[in-house]
Amino acid sequence: MTQPEFPKGRTMSAPLFRKVVAVAAAAGVAGLSLAACSTKSDDDGSSSAGGKVTITVDCQPVAAQKELLANWNADVDAFQKENPNIEIKSVSVGTQCNNPPDFTARLQGGTTTDIFYGYMTDLQQVLDSGQVMDITEYVNSSTVPTWDSVDTGAKATFTEGGKVYGIPTKNYSMGLVYNKNLFQQAGLDVKNPPKTWAEVRDAAKKISALGNGIAGYSEYSAGNTGGWHFTAEIYSLGGQMVTEDGKKADFNNPMGKQVLQTLKDMRFTDNSVGEKQLLQWPDLLTNAGAGNVGMFIGAPDATTAIVTQFQGKYQDWAMGPMPGQDGPAKATLGGGEGYFFKKGLSKEQVEAGLKWIAYQKLTPGKGQFDYVRAKPQDNPVGLPQPQLFTVGSPAYAQELEQRKANANVTVDDFAAFENNPVPVKVEPPNAQAIYAVLDAAMSAVLTDSKANIDQLLKTAEEKVNQVLATGGTGS
Amino acid sequence: MATITAHGKPAEVSGSRPLPPARRQSRRRRQLRNNLTGYAFLVGAVVCFAVFSWYPMVRGIIMSFQRTRRGETTWVGWDNYERIVNDPSFWTAWKNTFYFTALALILGYAVPFFVAILLNEFRHAKGYLRILVYLPVMLPPASALFLFKYYAYDPSDAGLFNAILKFFHLPTSEWMQSTTMTMPAMVIASTWMNMGAAVLIYLAALQNIPGELYEAAEIDGAGIWRRIWNVTIPQTKLILSLMAMLQIVATMQLFIEPLILANGAGTQDSATSVAYLIYQHGFFQNDLNGAAALGVIMLGVLAGFSFVYVRLTARQD
Amino acid sequence: MAADSGTRTLISSAQMRRGRGRYIYWTLLTVVVVVFTLVFLGPLYWMVTGALKSGQEIAQTPPTLWPEDPRLTNYTDAWQQLDLAKLLFNTFYYAFGALVFQLVLDTAAAYALSKLRPAFGNVILGLMLATLMIPAMVLIIPQYVTVIDLPILHVNLLDSPLALWLPAVANAFNIFLLKRFFDSIPEEIMSAAVMDGATPLRTLWSIILPMSRPILGVVSIFAVTAVWKDFLWPKLVMPSPETRTVSVGIYAFSGGTPMNVVVAAAVIAAIPTIVFFLIFQRSIMSGLTAGSLKG
Repeated sequence: MTQPEFPKGRTMSAPLFRKVVAVAAAAGVAGLSLAACSTKSDDDGSSSAGGKVTITVDCQPVAAQKELLANWNADVDAFQKENPNIEIKSVSVGTQCNNPPDFTARLQGGTTTDIFYGYMTDLQQVLDSGQVMDITEYVNSSTVPTWDSVDTGAKATFTEGGKVYGIPTKNYSMGLVYNKNLFQQAGLDVKNPPKTWAEVRDAAKKISALGNGIAGYSEYSAGNTGGWHFTAEIYSLGGQMVTEDGKKADFNNPMGKQVLQTLKDMRFTDNSVGEKQLLQWPDLLTNAGAGNVGMFIGAPDATTAIVTQFQGKYQDWAMGPMPGQDGPAKATLGGGEGYFFKKGLSKEQVEAGLKWIAYQKLTPGKGQFDYVRAKPQDNPVGLPQPQLFTVGSPAYAQELEQRKANANVTVDDFAAFENNPVPVKVEPPNAQAIYAVLDAAMSAVLTDSKANIDQLLKTAEEKVNQVLATGGTGS
Repeated sequence: MATITAHGKPAEVSGSRPLPPARRQSRRRRQLRNNLTGYAFLVGAVVCFAVFSWYPMVRGIIMSFQRTRRGETTWVGWDNYERIVNDPSFWTAWKNTFYFTALALILGYAVPFFVAILLNEFRHAKGYLRILVYLPVMLPPASALFLFKYYAYDPSDAGLFNAILKFFHLPTSEWMQSTTMTMPAMVIASTWMNMGAAVLIYLAALQNIPGELYEAAEIDGAGIWRRIWNVTIPQTKLILSLMAMLQIVATMQLFIEPLILANGAGTQDSATSVAYLIYQHGFFQNDLNGAAALGVIMLGVLAGFSFVYVRLTARQD
Repeated sequence: MAADSGTRTLISSAQMRRGRGRYIYWTLLTVVVVVFTLVFLGPLYWMVTGALKSGQEIAQTPPTLWPEDPRLTNYTDAWQQLDLAKLLFNTFYYAFGALVFQLVLDTAAAYALSKLRPAFGNVILGLMLATLMIPAMVLIIPQYVTVIDLPILHVNLLDSPLALWLPAVANAFNIFLLKRFFDSIPEEIMSAAVMDGATPLRTLWSIILPMSRPILGVVSIFAVTAVWKDFLWPKLVMPSPETRTVSVGIYAFSGGTPMNVVVAAAVIAAIPTIVFFLIFQRSIMSGLTAGSLKG
């Protein structure tokens, strides 16, 4: 092979060569960074290329949730077939779609999907981030056919100043989740779950007497979940976390004391809550899935998680109402989830997004309400959740009928919960910061036999007052 | 500190060619060209430093006096600092971080040094022992910490550590569930997974100590401990003090250990570190400005610390 | 392994070979080998076999040394559910990229500072070294804000590998190591090259770099381990499940998975690097001990 010969005069001089290298290097770097941002700019250029509307949607189930994922993908296919001009790009953001630090990072980084999942309590934070769109003008019963049936309270949590910022897709309230198997073994009445905290304590003693490392009752105390449950429990006694005006902590009182005292007694007097503490969400559900937890406070879909992610069986689980002091609980913690719309979407994208949510989340018989499909799968059908439609509305009737017809869990197992509704109370302001403070108190009574409850509550009160006074942020 | 130097002798330069008489103009031009070439080589790294180090430094200080809400940024004076200092966990976090740093100095700093001395004496199984010590360094940090969290620090008697303690009839511990054991347990895990690197660095330093020094000390009748004290430590002083500095800066940033081992704050806030508090503010409480202020405070503390360190080491020399 | 009698250490070889000394030496060596094996391999053994146990067995007191009923389901679940292959690929890809960026840009910078010495070079070096005193944690928030919206360009680097590679270049320690090494290359070599009409780039490429293999090796090890060990930064700037690193991925996975499956994932994630390490341990060890940091 002969080498090409350059005419003498045209060989590059060294400085020129350097310049070329420098330019090439610069171009290379620029090219890389362009390539880098082009991977992310889908949402900018994708609004309506060739009449096709593309939207990105998060909270696609993760691979571990095999059937849920398959269902989701099937929904996307069916929806796109019905609406050939819409393309749904699904994004999975983890098992917990709104893990607070990741959610905050996405909001701050502006990397949320076009239509993004959030909790009902996230509205303030989402507004603070300036990432959300006012969709008031688009939401009505023609874009979302079942809109008028959707629970007014749920809708209100996504509304501020008369402006709609999101669509609720699920709501829940907490009750007492319990393991029927262990109840039976311990000689307890499966149909008649404990109704007061005193009864919970008794039952826990009997269940933990079974041995084998079984905890009669299990409780969170880490990763902000301890404070979350403290809140639910003080609500059940009729208490609250902060005063009505939201300025002062309001749990350093006999009710707060009782919550902690009960837990401490169960841990150190009865020894009925297990030795392993500092639990957070996955830890408790892992134990529950392994059949080592008799009771815990949770929402009906805790059983879904136990089954789909933590190797449990839903035949084992039943649910009663939130226990109270001398009778039914005074209130229970409730919340829910929905989808927000990212700022800057085109009219077509918003409409496409609403259409998708209406299809997958708010139509009886479709998507999350496709009970015919869910029945043979691992997914429990018949749980009293989501309580999304106003009782008596047309969508409610339809959903209830299909749920009963296709139930694969014994609806009776949840009857105690469903037939004894407890008033629902939402999370306090600055929830995450307050929960972080109460984690310390919860972990203390569950790990330290010498924990001084009065002192713990006093410290927590001071800390929460500081949080409230220095004006934390949303969420 | 001496670093690797090009080994071997400098290549012989054949003859010495006299430089042509330099005229002013051409020298200046050459100087300019040399500068431009120099900058061309520097520009990539300098841009990276500028964008990802120097600018964030300034930006952090600016951010700490601002507040961004609903997309609007305003100047708020010392508000962020006030909020951070009043954070319920502020002082606890500092206390915990200093405690961890101190414990890590005792355990994580002294142990690798003595391990290195020990390994340096062995004439057999050297390679094997070195590999063993370095192996945990190669694990992804999350892997190593989950091992400790789930298996070693299991508070029941089913845990690895408790099983061993029980086997020897020693009192067991609740590890991460006990406020007093949280920090020591984190230091143990951290030392286990990180000490390999330090051991190798000390080994390198030990191999550089001239053997005659030991010989002379031995002739003077110095025992093993005296020899360590009078020869080994002075001879490795430079590297020892550098490692102390590096280790303190590293341990002050304690983050992944509490996050994984203690689920963040640990029992009764016993694991909360300053870095975790920065994270908690920035990404749990949606308060980047407060987090930036805490970063600036941390910088101040480290700067003060470095100052003391420099003063101390300067006096010793 | 033969005793290398060449170097005298704390205790003389002669003393170790003599009667009592010899006895103590061998006892101590045996004890250390056994203890180190238990301390450093023991936990790994526990981890590998623990993930073979069932949930019930792992909670058993006293724990079993060998799983009574070994099952691979935890491993297969972990592999399928976590997409470990993807995570491992990501991590290696980021580590490799960081290595290339650092080798190219940091070597060039160190070369300029050491040999070309442009005006104000020392000021620049000083500014770089000053960052050594600033731990990453202090800058994490403003750095994060910068990466979200790069100054002037207004590009968002989240989920782009550049968000890991470019900050990695700003590594004063590596530049310092390289510069110190280049400083020790005699000036005469440089001027000879200049006399021969070699351009600075050519000099770097064909004279300096070949002489610098040891330090390049050390810098490479540092560059790769830094990416491998980093956690919070990749957690923040690579938030999508498809772009995560192994450590971040396992941590996220632990938020919704039974503990034995998490440990199984941790084991699988550790295998490739352990294998890599065992294959290249000779060069890694000698690279690190050959004296990156001689006292």
